[in-house]
Amino acid sequence: MAQLPSAQPVNQPPKQEGLLLDPDFLARLEQLELISRKIHASRSKGERRSKRKGESAEFADYRNYVIGDDLRHIDWNIYARLDKLFLKLFLEEEDLNVSVLLDVSGSMQYGNPSKGLYAKRVAAALAYIGLCNYDRVNVYAYNEKVHDFRRALRGRRMMSQLIGFLEEMPLEGKSHFAAAARQFAMQQSQKGIVLILSDFMDKGGFEEGFRFLIGRKMDIYALQILSPEEVEPELTGDLKLVDIEDEDVAEVTVTKPLLDKYKATLQAYCESIRDYCTQRGAAYHLAITNQPFESLVLNYLRRRGLVR
Amino acid sequence: MSFLSPYTALIAAAASIPLLLLLYFLKLRRTEHTIPSTLLWRKAVQDLRVNAPFQKLRKNILLLLQMLLLIAVLVALAKPVMNFVRKPERNVVLVIDQSASMKTIEEDGRARIEHAKQAAKEFVDNLGGSSKAMIIGFADRAEVVTAFTNDRRRLKNGIDGIEANDGLSRIGEALQLAVAYSSSFVEGADDPGFIPDSVQTADIELFGDGRISDAAEEFITRAEMIHHQIGEVTDNVGITAFGVRRAIDQPGIVSVFATVQNFGPQSVTTDASLFLDDRLLDVVPVELGPADIKTSTQPAESRDTADSQSGRNIVFKFSHEAGGVLRIKLSRDDALPLDNEVHAPLDPPRAMRVLIVADREPVIRTLEWTFGYALQIDDVRVLSTEGYENAPEEEVAIEGRSAYDLVVIDKHDTDRLPPGNYVFFNGVPKIEGVEIGEDINEYFFVTWREAHPLLRYVELETVQVAKWRRLTLPDHAARLIEGENTVVTALITDPGHRYLINAFDLLDTDFTTDVAFPIYIQNTIDYLAGGDVETQRRMIAPGETITVQVPAGASKMTVTMPDQTKTEVDVEGRLNTTFGNTRSVGVYNIKFDDPKESTETYCVNILDEVESLIAPNSELSLSGTRIETVSGETEVNDPVWPYAVAAALVFLMIEWWVYNRRVMI
Repeated sequence: MAQLPSAQPVNQPPKQEGLLLDPDFLARLEQLELISRKIHASRSKGERRSKRKGESAEFADYRNYVIGDDLRHIDWNIYARLDKLFLKLFLEEEDLNVSVLLDVSGSMQYGNPSKGLYAKRVAAALAYIGLCNYDRVNVYAYNEKVHDFRRALRGRRMMSQLIGFLEEMPLEGKSHFAAAARQFAMQQSQKGIVLILSDFMDKGGFEEGFRFLIGRKMDIYALQILSPEEVEPELTGDLKLVDIEDEDVAEVTVTKPLLDKYKATLQAYCESIRDYCTQRGAAYHLAITNQPFESLVLNYLRRRGLVR
Repeated sequence: MSFLSPYTALIAAAASIPLLLLLYFLKLRRTEHTIPSTLLWRKAVQDLRVNAPFQKLRKNILLLLQMLLLIAVLVALAKPVMNFVRKPERNVVLVIDQSASMKTIEEDGRARIEHAKQAAKEFVDNLGGSSKAMIIGFADRAEVVTAFTNDRRRLKNGIDGIEANDGLSRIGEALQLAVAYSSSFVEGADDPGFIPDSVQTADIELFGDGRISDAAEEFITRAEMIHHQIGEVTDNVGITAFGVRRAIDQPGIVSVFATVQNFGPQSVTTDASLFLDDRLLDVVPVELGPADIKTSTQPAESRDTADSQSGRNIVFKFSHEAGGVLRIKLSRDDALPLDNEVHAPLDPPRAMRVLIVADREPVIRTLEWTFGYALQIDDVRVLSTEGYENAPEEEVAIEGRSAYDLVVIDKHDTDRLPPGNYVFFNGVPKIEGVEIGEDINEYFFVTWREAHPLLRYVELETVQVAKWRRLTLPDHAARLIEGENTVVTALITDPGHRYLINAFDLLDTDFTTDVAFPIYIQNTIDYLAGGDVETQRRMIAPGETITVQVPAGASKMTVTMPDQTKTEVDVEGRLNTTFGNTRSVGVYNIKFDDPKESTETYCVNILDEVESLIAPNSELSLSGTRIETVSGETEVNDPVWPYAVAAALVFLMIEWWVYNRRVMI
């Protein structure tokens, strides 16, 4: 039986962690910006077009005047020509609300490098892109519930704070995506991009959690992170499989039919998440941790339109 | 199908089945392995199990298979058998024939004794429960191989130790032993382990070819007896009679007689070769018809087969002045080679010395004429009775033996009897149990044993006797001639002595004037003192004891056996000595360490029609009672355990397959 990479001890950041992001990579990330497929309303002015019509220099539309409208926006030239009051509407520019829901449950410490580290790196990279573009970046770490969060970070100087937050974040506890999503949805009333970084190995199921986010009309990106050991387990013989999170024990005799069945089940499970997401306008991607996360961020997410 | 040892299996089952269940419920120790989530594994297992057939059964199929395997092993342990013959708790005596005929080589190349041993071992294996058995091997003598025991291993070891010897089949002693041992067995009733009802006598199981020479004798048996018939081959040609003699009138001429008999169903041709000290003297072709003896016939009823179609008498004559060892060998290979070769010692001719002790002139004249003229004996001496009694010791005895081959004593009772051969007329030797009494007036001999060598060709019908005297004789005396109620002539054979006692007076009969008288005297010389008698004395059957007189000055006797091994016997200060280890056929050379280095040669030959008749007897009768015969090859209690073991193996393989296919949480 092949010796599998053992899980890292709980409460200690993995040794390989070192730098979440290296400077070269950061420099390349500065060129990117996050794109939401939806146009959201926001509270503060930013660099992005808002759903609301506002006060930017860019013309958007006309509409009839109704009583109470700001007289400053009436297009007097039209009034002169047509003797009708039209209001001149301009595009509003607002900031983008970028939220990262990061799974820090016990199962994320599995794999070498651990799925948690991989997820933290992706989170850090996307957050950095957001920060560089003056987007409002929120990072929520959850296991059974939202464990800790940093909200409304703006500007590149917040990056060190964010990295520190991510590095210090332990990988422990059971995962309960639904509870965390509910809590997140209640706290984060503003719409925007939500990036979920998780392995979705959640015995409570994933649908309920998505429902909370979809209900908020957020632009959802689900990134499922699995380790190669999960995709191609090298297990044989009579085993007592211990769940890393809840210490649930499954005694199995691993045989070829069972392995085949496991792989089929895993594939079906991933496809069920993908189908669920695509049917509800969310984007889904499966990332294996042996795939370099730089290429994931620089190539794949760019192709999928999350970053530009 | 039945089980020979169900209790062993039950005990094993009681121990092993709970153990298996316990082990099953303890389950195996699995390697612990940490995984991110058991979610998918559980799902996979569940899916697989739902799709697998016989889910309920599958859960316990391994246990089921293990149980089947265990049951198969237990069944094997219970010794299942087909064709079961219920063997009640009983005691048996296994009597195994180890006589010469058991050395017959069967068609599979193994000796008949090996078949008997195998049959006996199978019988022991199939003995029921706590039955006890004892083993007796017999040939001319019987010996207890293993006393009563229920230890199968000891019994089988005992059977393994049995070897066939060259002895003749005499079952009497074996039956006596069997009866004696089973009696003592019944007396063991105070033993706490004794089962009183079922064990009264031990049954006798005879393993052999059913050719028993003393089968017609009376035996005391209280037991049921079953004969397990061993052997199949019948092809054998053997020498059943053999004799050597020198003519008394021409001592240089040696006549050799032999009877060659065919016991097989086909006509055979063979050569009989005569060797003297391994030098080939003569070869005679012998043609023999098929044996007309049915295998069932007792050989005793077919004694006169010589010169019938299947038997031939052959005679060799040659001139030889010295001694040696004669050997006749049949050139044919058959199933029993032991009886294809016979040996006989041949002594150099020697001058006959006869002493006549008589006082009466007519008697002296008659005897002198008979010995000296009619029989051509040169050295005939005459002593008066007084002269005989007073003669110096060295004149009558040499080296502790009589100085004469024959001493004839007329009308005189004497106790001066150095070992030798004596003929008394109207007188007796003064030895225990022999007395001579008053006259009896009868005129004719009523009965006499015509077949006895002493009376062969002696016509006694016309002989008249005026009277004879009443004889009182010991039990072992052979009565040769008898009157109405009295004995006229008797032969007493004691160690070293032979006495022919005639109760009539030579002057009271016309016997001396009859032609029968010289023949009678000739027979007397031949039988008592003759060369062939001496030769016959030294040709013995296997197992018979050799009795030899120790020459003066000898302290050690060395016997060279047929296989050239030497045995030394201490004979210091003894007149006679015996040697009993004569189980093997062949030549026994005896050598003394006296100053003259005396030697004697004894030859052991089978010369027995019963042994040579190797066709197994399916209709054995003992003491006139038919014995139930079963074929020794009958397969009862066919062992089935190999099949059970094979089934166990199959279950093991299925289990292995299932184990590698199965899905289990």
